[in-house]
Amino acid sequence: MESTLEQHLDDTMKNPAVVGVLCTDQQGHSLGCRGSLSDEHGGVVSVLAKQAAALPKDPTDSPTVCLESDSGNILVRSHGSITIAVHKIAS
Amino acid sequence: MGCCYSGEDGNSREKFEETDPLIPHPNPVSKPPNGTEWPTPGVPSPPTDGQALLTSILTKTAQNIIDVSAADSVVMEQHEIMDKARQYSTKLAMLSTSLPQKKALTLPSLTSQPHQVLASDLVPYSDVQQVSKIAAYAYSAISQIKVDAKEELVVQFAIP
Amino acid sequence: MTTAALTAGLERIPDQLGYLVISEDGVLASAGELENDEHTAGVMMQMVRTACRFRLSGSTDAPFKRMSVILEDFVYVVTISGQKVFVVKRQNIQHEPINV
Repeated sequence: MESTLEQHLDDTMKNPAVVGVLCTDQQGHSLGCRGSLSDEHGGVVSVLAKQAAALPKDPTDSPTVCLESDSGNILVRSHGSITIAVHKIAS
Repeated sequence: MGCCYSGEDGNSREKFEETDPLIPHPNPVSKPPNGTEWPTPGVPSPPTDGQALLTSILTKTAQNIIDVSAADSVVMEQHEIMDKARQYSTKLAMLSTSLPQKKALTLPSLTSQPHQVLASDLVPYSDVQQVSKIAAYAYSAISQIKVDAKEELVVQFAIP
Repeated sequence: MTTAALTAGLERIPDQLGYLVISEDGVLASAGELENDEHTAGVMMQMVRTACRFRLSGSTDAPFKRMSVILEDFVYVVTISGQKVFVVKRQNIQHEPINV
């Protein structure tokens, strides 16, 4: 039986610009990943999100971190106890 | 055997094959662990050049051998170990202060035109919105995960 | 490049609200809303170090030339050049709140 998260990751990958997606918990354990993003990226992604959370003055302002290059962007965003990373190639 | 050989000094041994016996007499090569003088080989004939060379090789080899079988005889008291540890750490602390601080990690250069990179267009708002939605959906998907226990989670092992 | 030359370029960035130039040894220059902002400088240094550890499979280089931290009203844009970390706070004008 496929979990709701697995289904959601598959759906995300259907977007033609998305080449990778990763979901981690606060400790950097990968909860699921697809494409160019793999379990090993969980640590860096969760740490980056945690560090960014120290920036806004208003704690409800949730930051999105984006690593940008000419070929594409990796966007990182937390929601509650999880962090998502999405690798999008330039369209 | 109980001996391990460490160190290499190839130049002084060039003329000798490694398989040649290092010592012309039957006494086994071993060195007391406390580092006392190695006795010169007890060959009575007057030392020749060959003999002197052999002796120097023997001495060098002996210095490179640690006889672990003899290590048991070295008994160190607990306080001696503590003393030594303290001495070493003091020495290390002294040395490390005189060394330049090692940089944690040198920064890579991501671009040669920082101003241009910083001034270029921001990430499209639609992308930020998209990843926010993906994160929100993933979070709700995670919160829906429940353990669907089909069997007893704790089972009794058959204890006779 | 002198510090003056470095910062002159940063002043001209559109919608900039402030900037920081940081080296391994500390803040070299700061202005605007980021003037003397040691907290942001510290967090940004941590973040670039973390981000530089990111590698896509088969690549040995960090897969980005700029890092952005996007908040509701503004964006921090960060890059590294010549052992210096440049942080510019820019206004986030592409509005509409994020509805999730």
